Amino acid sequence: MDRRGFVKLCAGSTAWLAASMHDARASGYTDFPKVRLTDPQGAPLRASTLAKDEAYVFHFPFRSLPCFLIDLGKPASGPQELTSESGSYTWPGGVGKDKSLVAYVAVCTHQLSYTASDGSQIRYAAGTSALAGRPGTIVCCAHASVFDPAKGAQREHGEARNPLLSVRLEYEPEEDSLYATGLAGTELVERFFKTYRRELIAEYGPGVYREPVGAAAAAVLLSKYASSVSDC
Amino acid sequence: MSDRINRRDFLKISSAAAASGAAVMTGCATAGGGMETAATVGFKADLPRAKGPRLVVVGGGTSGLTIAKYAKKEYPKFDVVLVEKRDMYSSCFSSNLWYAGVINLEFLADHSFLDAARNNRYTYFNATVTGLDRTGRKLVTSEGEIDYDFLVLAPGISYDYARIGVKDVEAITALRTDYPPGFISPTEHVTIRRKVQEFESGVFVQCVPSGNYRCLPAPYERACMIASVFKKNKIKGKVLLLDANPDITIKAKGFHAAFNELYKDIVEYKPSTEIKSVDLEKKLLKTDFESYQFDDAAIYPGVRASTLIEELGLVDPKSPQKEARIDVLKYNVIGDERVYVTGDSRPHPYSKSANTSNTEGKYVAKVLAARAQGKDISWYSPRTVCFSMVSASPMEGIGVDAGYVLNAAGNAIAGFSPDTKLFEDRDEAKGKSTLEWARGLYRDMFEA
Repeated sequence: MDRRGFVKLCAGSTAWLAASMHDARASGYTDFPKVRLTDPQGAPLRASTLAKDEAYVFHFPFRSLPCFLIDLGKPASGPQELTSESGSYTWPGGVGKDKSLVAYVAVCTHQLSYTASDGSQIRYAAGTSALAGRPGTIVCCAHASVFDPAKGAQREHGEARNPLLSVRLEYEPEEDSLYATGLAGTELVERFFKTYRRELIAEYGPGVYREPVGAAAAAVLLSKYASSVSDC
Repeated sequence: MSDRINRRDFLKISSAAAASGAAVMTGCATAGGGMETAATVGFKADLPRAKGPRLVVVGGGTSGLTIAKYAKKEYPKFDVVLVEKRDMYSSCFSSNLWYAGVINLEFLADHSFLDAARNNRYTYFNATVTGLDRTGRKLVTSEGEIDYDFLVLAPGISYDYARIGVKDVEAITALRTDYPPGFISPTEHVTIRRKVQEFESGVFVQCVPSGNYRCLPAPYERACMIASVFKKNKIKGKVLLLDANPDITIKAKGFHAAFNELYKDIVEYKPSTEIKSVDLEKKLLKTDFESYQFDDAAIYPGVRASTLIEELGLVDPKSPQKEARIDVLKYNVIGDERVYVTGDSRPHPYSKSANTSNTEGKYVAKVLAARAQGKDISWYSPRTVCFSMVSASPMEGIGVDAGYVLNAAGNAIAGFSPDTKLFEDRDEAKGKSTLEWARGLYRDMFEA
């Protein structure tokens, strides 16, 4: 699919999402136009400069869909066969020089708490988490779900039944740059849009929240993106 | 930092169930089930013909709404009908926050049964249940009879004024009208909020009953919210917390800290204070030894299962809270795998909380789906994740994340799971989690 076709279909149409869901079942991941991750100023993000104690927030593939980019500081080995609400997929593991870079949609798969600029219940707890009881997890403080980002964000504790939705990353070693290229399914995205339609319209404008993010997406430290971050 | 919850805390919560003896809690499926009503209204409910096995869910609270949605998801062939006597939803959970202005009424009530039904492909039927014919598998309602293949009764609680020595129906009516407890209907919440807003000076009493009452932390949270209002508005008032229990029943450390550090001159906590009678004319609450004068109050008597359970002949005669006689692992009426009782009418020593009902409901949905297909599933624990707001401004909360375990025989609930944790250092982050917790539940029940 070329970019013009993608944009046309995204504009308020569910036909593209329906087609994408078929692709997800066939390949495990739904392809989206490649999006380069940048720093907040718009310069290409250098993977080797990423902080390891906090997640970055970027939006992909839609303007309103928040995602976490995390440098785990250690390899996250794949592949692993996992299941999302869209079906089975093969999580490839971490990318980057050290295979330590992972990305997930920052929407809890339990009851859809998500990272917004006015606050985040969900965070990457590189250090201590009272809820998780160990470092290096993603925790959602709203209902006490814990996910393991080194294992495809599988659920480790709590009521969530599915892993956080995986974002497929590509790493360009010559540029030390990162691209987001796909999602492990789109059913969660549909539910997110439907559930938060009022809020997203208010924040972004009618239809704007569903627009593609474009060729580049800025990645911002969570602590700088959200006005408050719950720290369970 | 989190703290582990211990067995003594669990036993405090389960004291009502424990007092009734192990018989209530065994999973032995003995035959028989007591009386059943066979009332009829002589006409069928105006519902479309069932397109698959019909699951009727009675009660549009957290348990019923969860089961209606998730049973359909687990087994799409179910034709699900949610029977609810209210025509407008407003949650009991989070209602305390309205009294202090942390949330508004829209937060509690901007949720439509119609949207829940449309989003989750079931039928919302606004009617009151008046009878049940388990032999004929027929539920009788004010709007006609509904045939069922499976029936879930999730009617919640009723108040038990006999537990505070009030048996006279006139006195009960006066108490319900003038000093509503605020744990069943939205109209009680409106009255309590008005009381808090109009309070000028004196003593406001909040009672805490004994037994497994609905929402263990709520009376303490309400005391904090009312005290917050008094503090902010410089009201010369005191919140007198009369607790029948020997100590705060949950998150004790967090609530004591709030009382002592935030509301030292406002909240007075009296444990082991069991109300034995009420003199409404003199505005006195009496124990065996003392009398407590009040200017206004939320008088929370004991709790029992909804009277509907008794009307339908499903009460366990040994249950002190008149809860249903059901299989502890699978929730079906003993001897009848077509009828289930869930939510706060259950006899389990689980905390009677929204999160418990929501997580339990998803499990019961799986049980129903399995049994509709001639299969079964293994038990797993519901989860009690719960936050309490202890300060309105700034907004600060405390929390708990609890699971439950079976005894060695696997036929009774023995206590909290080893991964149960308390989060009792109040802070703004938990205050925000308190709100997001509720929003998540609304999303889960009303959205797809």
